[in-house]
Amino acid sequence: MSLVAHYLPLLLVFLVAAAICATFWLGGALVGRKNPTAEKLMPYECGNDTEGGRGIRLHVKFYLTAILFVVFDVEAVFIYPWAVLFKGLGWVGFASMSAFIVALLVALIYVWKKGALEWET
Amino acid sequence: MTWWSTLFAVSPLVVVALGALLLMLAEALGRPAPAADGAVVTDVGSGRAGELGIGSAVVLFAGGVFALSLWMVGPEALPGAEGLAPYFIVDRFSAFFGVMLCLGGGLSALLGGGYLDEHGIDRSEFFPLLLWATLGAMALAGAGDLLTLFVALETMSIGVYAMVGLRRNGRAIEAALKYFLLGGFAGALTLFGAALLYGATGHTDLAGIGASVGTIGQPGSTVPAGLVLVAMALVVSGLLFKVAAVPFHMWTPDAYEGAPTPATTFMAVAVKCAAFAILLRVLFGAFADERVASWGTGWPPVLAVLAVATMTVGNLIAGRQESVKRMLAYSSIAHAGYALLGVVAAMRSGMGQASVLFYLLAYTVSTVGAFGALILCGRRGAEAVSYEDLAGIGRRHPVVALAFSLFLVSLAGIPATAGFFGKLGVFLAAIDAELYVLAVVGLLNSFLGAYYYLRVLVYMYMREPSPNAPRAVPMRSGQVGVAIAVAALLVVWWGLFPLSIGADVTAAGSAPMAR
Repeated sequence: MSLVAHYLPLLLVFLVAAAICATFWLGGALVGRKNPTAEKLMPYECGNDTEGGRGIRLHVKFYLTAILFVVFDVEAVFIYPWAVLFKGLGWVGFASMSAFIVALLVALIYVWKKGALEWET
Repeated sequence: MTWWSTLFAVSPLVVVALGALLLMLAEALGRPAPAADGAVVTDVGSGRAGELGIGSAVVLFAGGVFALSLWMVGPEALPGAEGLAPYFIVDRFSAFFGVMLCLGGGLSALLGGGYLDEHGIDRSEFFPLLLWATLGAMALAGAGDLLTLFVALETMSIGVYAMVGLRRNGRAIEAALKYFLLGGFAGALTLFGAALLYGATGHTDLAGIGASVGTIGQPGSTVPAGLVLVAMALVVSGLLFKVAAVPFHMWTPDAYEGAPTPATTFMAVAVKCAAFAILLRVLFGAFADERVASWGTGWPPVLAVLAVATMTVGNLIAGRQESVKRMLAYSSIAHAGYALLGVVAAMRSGMGQASVLFYLLAYTVSTVGAFGALILCGRRGAEAVSYEDLAGIGRRHPVVALAFSLFLVSLAGIPATAGFFGKLGVFLAAIDAELYVLAVVGLLNSFLGAYYYLRVLVYMYMREPSPNAPRAVPMRSGQVGVAIAVAALLVVWWGLFPLSIGADVTAAGSAPMAR
């Protein structure tokens, strides 16, 4: 099958990468010296003892913040390739990006006026 | 100046998009919502929904007018239209669907204006969502590339998911969650199929895929036939989910019932029509080759079985419903079955596609009208949902009862209404394609359907409400009234003079046929 032949190098890369990882990890685990102390086994968090359990509840507002971050971050992702090709795209490219940014601006105004940017409510 | 003609070619979408942006601003900057502490239920609707409803309807009808003028000028005469292909195809097909979707969306917006105010749902983001979803639907009808297809599909769907969950009660949340999870799953199926298609053929545009599929079996072809079949099944399954065909219909009754009625209308009308549009484009653009589209192999026999199952299951379960809204949900499943019959017939009959288009047009106006009349039959706190609620409406609200009867008669397919000619066209196309069994099954099914449509008439005109039942006093709303009047006018017009748009439907239907 030509398909297999086509992707064989890719498969090999995966295998080699997996083999290297396994070698380093197993090598460290098997050969390395172990001398555990209480300090070494402590979960590290900014140099302090960790407080509370892991299953803490996060405020639902983080969800909104995360969504907004994703929405407005995608903007930057689109602008980078556009900026690289700016000269070749000409006025059509400029108009397209302007329309895109205006739409995002409207979204920003909407989000602002709806109070989604205010933490203390 | 090809630049201007390009702009004109996409003007329906641009108008709707600009309108949606303006409405978003108007909604956010306008009068503030009464209270943010959850006290949404006020005695009188704030009136914002009414204003925004009119605004959205104006925008969508303007979009429809642009689509209509595009139709008048003729998309094939525009030099700039070619440059958008294959990502967005400007032809008579997409212009036709532009008009149809703007009509369905605009009428749904009018229903929304009346409904949200009456029921005190002060969530006016309904209207921007509706406009964006309509934009997605219009883009979907013009998609000629798998990428545009998916982006447009999601643009349409995400807006509708939010519209379904507009009310914050348990049933609405259940509806929205079901629709969202299953819809996301269906979207993933379509996307996975698209990825496989790209892998198999090296093309993402439907025409290129069609050309590659055509080479299967010829010497030197590198297109794996099995992979194409799997990919086709995945893509088509995702689209069948959106048209609510059996076996992908499970979400429909819950989502339709839990959603606010205008959102239900929009789902039943615009989402379904746009999904049929892209289904036709995919099947006849990419999979029209003999090897995947003959009566022995490929999609036609599968779709034929699904069409029969869809209409039969829809009709049988619709007859058992006690809620009129659920009945209309199952009836919309059954209607998807009839339209699928036309899609199958289009494989062998030249009039198949035109019959589907006319069917969808007739279905759009009849369904909008039926849901609109249902809205008018109940008011705040007493939404008419069951057959019992409709008892005696014929005497207390004769005009609405008359309109409701007209739309149900049209959905049942009784002569002198648009629905009759919709069904007639589909059955004639099936006969023309020598699919006699399918035509007979469809005919029997439409008798089955008449039972539950006429049952509503029986309740409205021949039953009195039981003495201690809470009397649903019908609401009055100018907007809903206008929407019903427009729908009724079109139902009667196309029911009496179906040939007035016959040539147009044929022209639109033959546009995407590559053969």
